[in-house]
Amino acid sequence: MTPTLELRELRKAYRDTVAVDGVSLAVPPGTVFGLLGPNGAGKTTTLRMVMDIIAPDSGAVLFAGRARTRADLERIGYLPEERGLYRKMTVVDHLVFLGELNGLPRREGRERAREWLERMELADAAGKKVEELSKGMQQKVQIAGTLLHEPELVILDEPFSGLDPINQGLFKEILAGYKREGRTIVFSTHVLEQAEKLCDSIGLISRGRIVLDGELAAIKREMGGNSFRLVAAGDLGRVAALAGVVQVLPAGDGAARVLLAPDADRAAVLREMVAFLDVREFVGAEPELEEIFVRAVRDAA
Amino acid sequence: MRREAAARRRPNKIAVLTRREYLSRVKSKGFWVATLVLPAAMAALFVLPTMILARTHAEQRVVLVDETARLGAGVAARLAEPPALGGLEAARVAVEIEPPAADPAAQRAALDARVLAGSIDAWIWIGRERLADDVVEYHAESVSNVITQAVIAEAVEREVAAMRLVDAGFDPERVGELTRPVRLATVRVTPEGGREEAGEAGFFLAYGMFFMLYLVLMIWGQQVLTGVLEEKSSRIVEVIVSTARPFDLMMGKLTGIGLAGLTQLTVWLVCLAALSAPGIAGALAATPEGFTLPVLTLPVALHFLGFFVLGYFLFASLFAAVGAAFNNIQEAQHFTGIPIAFLVAPVLVIFPVINDPDSTLATVVSLIPLFAPVVMPVRVAVKMPPAWEIALAYLLTAAAVVALVWLCARIYRVGILMHGKKPTLAEIVRWVRYA
Repeated sequence: MTPTLELRELRKAYRDTVAVDGVSLAVPPGTVFGLLGPNGAGKTTTLRMVMDIIAPDSGAVLFAGRARTRADLERIGYLPEERGLYRKMTVVDHLVFLGELNGLPRREGRERAREWLERMELADAAGKKVEELSKGMQQKVQIAGTLLHEPELVILDEPFSGLDPINQGLFKEILAGYKREGRTIVFSTHVLEQAEKLCDSIGLISRGRIVLDGELAAIKREMGGNSFRLVAAGDLGRVAALAGVVQVLPAGDGAARVLLAPDADRAAVLREMVAFLDVREFVGAEPELEEIFVRAVRDAA
Repeated sequence: MRREAAARRRPNKIAVLTRREYLSRVKSKGFWVATLVLPAAMAALFVLPTMILARTHAEQRVVLVDETARLGAGVAARLAEPPALGGLEAARVAVEIEPPAADPAAQRAALDARVLAGSIDAWIWIGRERLADDVVEYHAESVSNVITQAVIAEAVEREVAAMRLVDAGFDPERVGELTRPVRLATVRVTPEGGREEAGEAGFFLAYGMFFMLYLVLMIWGQQVLTGVLEEKSSRIVEVIVSTARPFDLMMGKLTGIGLAGLTQLTVWLVCLAALSAPGIAGALAATPEGFTLPVLTLPVALHFLGFFVLGYFLFASLFAAVGAAFNNIQEAQHFTGIPIAFLVAPVLVIFPVINDPDSTLATVVSLIPLFAPVVMPVRVAVKMPPAWEIALAYLLTAAAVVALVWLCARIYRVGILMHGKKPTLAEIVRWVRYA
């Protein structure tokens, strides 16, 4: 199936840093893709290049199998990390304006704005100026503005940062509905738990490079055999020094996640641990994204 | 609720952005307050003094003592029909002639008493001896009513001159004819033939046009600056440039604000014409009879509009670039001085240019792109320059507009996404090179 969005060897360098260093990705239609990485990894620059806000030094952006054109941008919804609204415009005028920029005729824009405002329980605010709304209400208007023209692909840069918990829930619900309709969603985040619940596939980015990507379930399966939950009394810190142990992530209250090398001897590790720990539990567990991420970054280095 | 994006048409983004910019301004209360307050203030400025003047000069009660006994009646007659001055009857003077008494000192004291009591405003003494020294006395509590004094002096002067001519043996009948005043009839020479037009009128037209251009460019250039800063600080800008080019955003902003400016200008002109017509007519009527209003000919109006549009884009793009480069108005303040300096500079040369529109100074200044938009229309209004000079001014200004819009669009493209640190000049130069 032709990917809805494909990036080929995207690269962007500034005077003293390489922000994005040869990023290649493919996002199949109807899926949710998470671009994950710490702050400064190159997520925003990558997404801005997708939207033609920044021109890449080299590489290509493909939309539905061919080079993405300016006209395609109207079929993509974009919510930047730095976002806001014209404070003096009325809510409905603002939504109609954003729709019009993306080719939605005014009359239709007005209808859809009304639908969206009703759905978000903001129908009463339609004629109010943006500045008269609470921050949470403004966030809802912003979300409606991103989706009003019903884009086939939605690009969201840190979509949940700054959203209050109620709007986070609302937004996730809307995105789930969007996915059911067969639309494609790409979002970036540095909060890995969010991605874990929403994504079909992920791309891990670190220092401008993709260090791991693929279907989330497959990644977890692949790494699952080597991840364990350990509950024990004693000095957990010594575990990390054992042969075959890649990493120990303390989880509090005498618990920790232990990651073993693929070729490690599980029984041998357990035997050695028992020598200095009072082990109560040592069971295989699905790795959390954080673990996968830390490992992928280390492997790449 | 999935709908197919079937009837999708490519929107003209500059038009969409222009429309938003224009409507959001024209719909705001502030716009109409500013638009209506200025004409109201101007009207007050024109009409009030006129009304006050008219009231204060309602009537001056003056006693005239004429020792010669030959001048009083003539002076009184002249003052009964005062000349029009500034559109009003400048000074109406009611003259009461009092014969000289046997005791001049007592009569003077009595007149002083009447002035102090307020029953008369002034008294005039035409003494035989002092008249030989060309002096007539004027006594009043206030001696700063220069208009009234000028009117009285003129009346007395004309009567005295006539009396002296009669004394020199001229026929009294002919004296009136021979001493009629002369006025300067200024005729403007144009290829279409001469046309009588007052010198003041041409000056007022040229200066008025200059001032209007200057005011509109200044006010609306600043509006562009604050508009860009607002988009940056409200963080709306990245949402917009995800579908419209930064160049579209900039052009939409410039055009929308420019149209709002034109709307305001139109309202001002209409209001000014309606409200202060009596005031203007009054001011122009200062030139005596035979005066004709200056005509804003079609070529002059078209050049005015042409240079206005070019000048607006020239300066507005500069303001847009400054707005894009900085984070807030405080940071931008230092650099707004650059476009403002270019706007203000022509003020220094505009009077010499109006006075001598063919001078080397006028020619050179009206060709320099940043000055041309305000100086060339003034030259056109005063005296049509050679066609090649006008064409060159258009060409140079248009070239400057293209170059500046290009340059500013690059600064804009990078600057609108920059937040936080105030950029250095070197960084801005880099934006232009790498954008």
